[in-house]
Amino acid sequence: METSYETIIIGGGVVGSSIAYHLSERKKEGILVLDQKFPLSGTSGSTQAWVWVHNKTPSWYAEFNMYSAELYPYLSKKIGDVEYKRTGGLSPFFNEADREKALLLAEAYKKIGIKIKVLSREEALEKEPSLNPEVAGATYSSIDGNVNPFRLVDMYMRAAKKNGVQYSTYNKVTEIQKLPGKFIVSSRKGTFVCNNLILAGGTWSRELGKLVDISIPVNQLRGQILVTEPLKPFLHYTISGLRQAFNGEVLIGYSMEEEGFNRATTLDVIQETANMAVHYVPQLKKAKVVRAFSGIRAMPEDGFPILGNIPGIENLYVAATHSGVTLSPLIGTLMTELILDGETSIPIDRYSISRFDLAIR
Amino acid sequence: METDVLIIGAGPSGLTAALETASRGLDVTIVEESFSMGGQFIQQTQLLQSLPSSYQPMRGFELAGLLTKQVEDYSIRCLLGHRVIGFYKDGSVGISDEINVFPLKAKKIIVATGAAENALAFPKWTLPGVMTIGAVQTLINRDFVLPGKHAVILGSSDFAMDVALQLSELGVQIKGIIEKTPSLTARDAEKVEEVRKKGIPVYVNSSIKEARGIGKVEEIDIVHGEQILTVSVDVVCIDGGRSPILDVFYQLGCSFSYQKELGGWIPQYNKSLQTDREDVFLAGNAAGVSSQGVLLTTGMIAGVYVSESLGAISKQEADIETMSLWRELEIMETKLYPDAWKARMQHVENFEHPVLKDQFIS
Repeated sequence: METSYETIIIGGGVVGSSIAYHLSERKKEGILVLDQKFPLSGTSGSTQAWVWVHNKTPSWYAEFNMYSAELYPYLSKKIGDVEYKRTGGLSPFFNEADREKALLLAEAYKKIGIKIKVLSREEALEKEPSLNPEVAGATYSSIDGNVNPFRLVDMYMRAAKKNGVQYSTYNKVTEIQKLPGKFIVSSRKGTFVCNNLILAGGTWSRELGKLVDISIPVNQLRGQILVTEPLKPFLHYTISGLRQAFNGEVLIGYSMEEEGFNRATTLDVIQETANMAVHYVPQLKKAKVVRAFSGIRAMPEDGFPILGNIPGIENLYVAATHSGVTLSPLIGTLMTELILDGETSIPIDRYSISRFDLAIR
Repeated sequence: METDVLIIGAGPSGLTAALETASRGLDVTIVEESFSMGGQFIQQTQLLQSLPSSYQPMRGFELAGLLTKQVEDYSIRCLLGHRVIGFYKDGSVGISDEINVFPLKAKKIIVATGAAENALAFPKWTLPGVMTIGAVQTLINRDFVLPGKHAVILGSSDFAMDVALQLSELGVQIKGIIEKTPSLTARDAEKVEEVRKKGIPVYVNSSIKEARGIGKVEEIDIVHGEQILTVSVDVVCIDGGRSPILDVFYQLGCSFSYQKELGGWIPQYNKSLQTDREDVFLAGNAAGVSSQGVLLTTGMIAGVYVSESLGAISKQEADIETMSLWRELEIMETKLYPDAWKARMQHVENFEHPVLKDQFIS
């Protein structure tokens, strides 16, 4: 393995691998991805993997998500079948007060071109007959869907490797030295030199930031997900909190806990989650839950992506975000533009790390 | 619900652990997912020669009956048809009776979840008639159902020899024992000799190329050196060895290390059979796949140390008692599986260096 690269990406999850792939589309040489374990062993491999736009707020953030969702059909054509399904998304509500909020949201979205419908009880039940008949209504967006996260990351990796990207896995980065015009990255398996360095460590961004003396304020959120036995296909839409996979399993998850990197599952949350699912879709009461798992999600301090250059350190970039699955095609595209062209086709100033205090504390 | 000692699994090691703890006055609860106690012993008709000194040589199902009776003589709470499905945030154990889930608070937990058989895959291995060797034994000895008339066995452990002889006695024609290494892996020379006497063909350096059949297995191709032998069969027994069942240990957050000779990944433990969680002990195949006698002994050792940790006996008493138990364990394990004993000692020695804290093994 060479020791000198044009670009090193730290983190081979859905975000890092997307950047690697998109970058390699235009520039085939000199890209290395370092992963402390193996892609999919962390957040990207423990998600429901929605491609989700609607009811994200404020509307400019929803718009950003929409652009990414729009890229999915083309992405599948380029890297292969990732089991992307644009099912449409339903967010049911159970009281009239929520209808007002939904209408306001729909109005705000309309201005930026995201179509969401506020459905009546009858319309919601007509679309998804399995919903609880006590539902008051639902918001509906046709652009929402889901993807198979394992195929997605695997296909990003395969396509990237085909373009010459190298991966070095189980290779934790231990030290980063900033020298004029280059970085020296020390890792468990060796030392590498590069011109561009991209920090895409997801939940571990804070730790990566410390290596370059910068605060990257990303916290960990634990989400617990239940998996049912394979059921005959009966859910047509991606419903907030649950979706049915290709093989018939229903994935259910609502929880968010601050538990650091603890990936345990607890029966308290499992039972709450199951009750919630039965409230939404009563016939799930009969479904057998065969598995529960938890994933640690990255959550920037203010909830929004942290993307772009790191001010004051030339050629050092960061890409850390929640909703990595939804946003990966767009983030990969924009980071590539930023690195190769110095500017992006969609402005990302809003997502600059400079909105935070960069001092480590 | 509260208990001093929760034992997960009512197999042989769970039962001896229950006896050691209940006989010292502790409140003991056993959770067992099936509706009977004794675990895999229930369908074992072969004579178990190598048992701890407190047991006469007897057949597996007889021993299951004996242990069950002993357990029933104590006031041990036996939750049959129940499963541990998870843990609450406050540490209590979630137990399901398949309809409801209820919490149980246990001072100490002994995990005796046993081992599961490994599969060996080959093309068309999912055809009906292809099953694990343990399933074959369950069918003939517990359910009194013949799985077929013409069988081959893929793999050649001691257990495979036992089942080959049992099938043969029932009139099932064994058309071959297929072993990929240059010699049989069974250690019990007497049994191997018996198998040879029956005229069962043995193919070493061999494997199954593929199975064929419509709706069920009808024939297989054996790769034997340069040759390919086509054999018509209606049963293929897969003897792929066993690996400890680890789910509960993951949920408890125990650390693991790898010991090939003991079945692969196993939780780390010390000489008290205590994991790196102070309140969690383990016994039986979950502590490393081994022979029946060893399973019983590990249950006894775990039981003694759990009794000690709850103040039912002194440390000195516990050490004295387990010293002889460990010695017996060594004799039994070295006799058949010397490498397993070595691995076990290595494993115990490694305890101070837990290797896997944050990994998911699959």
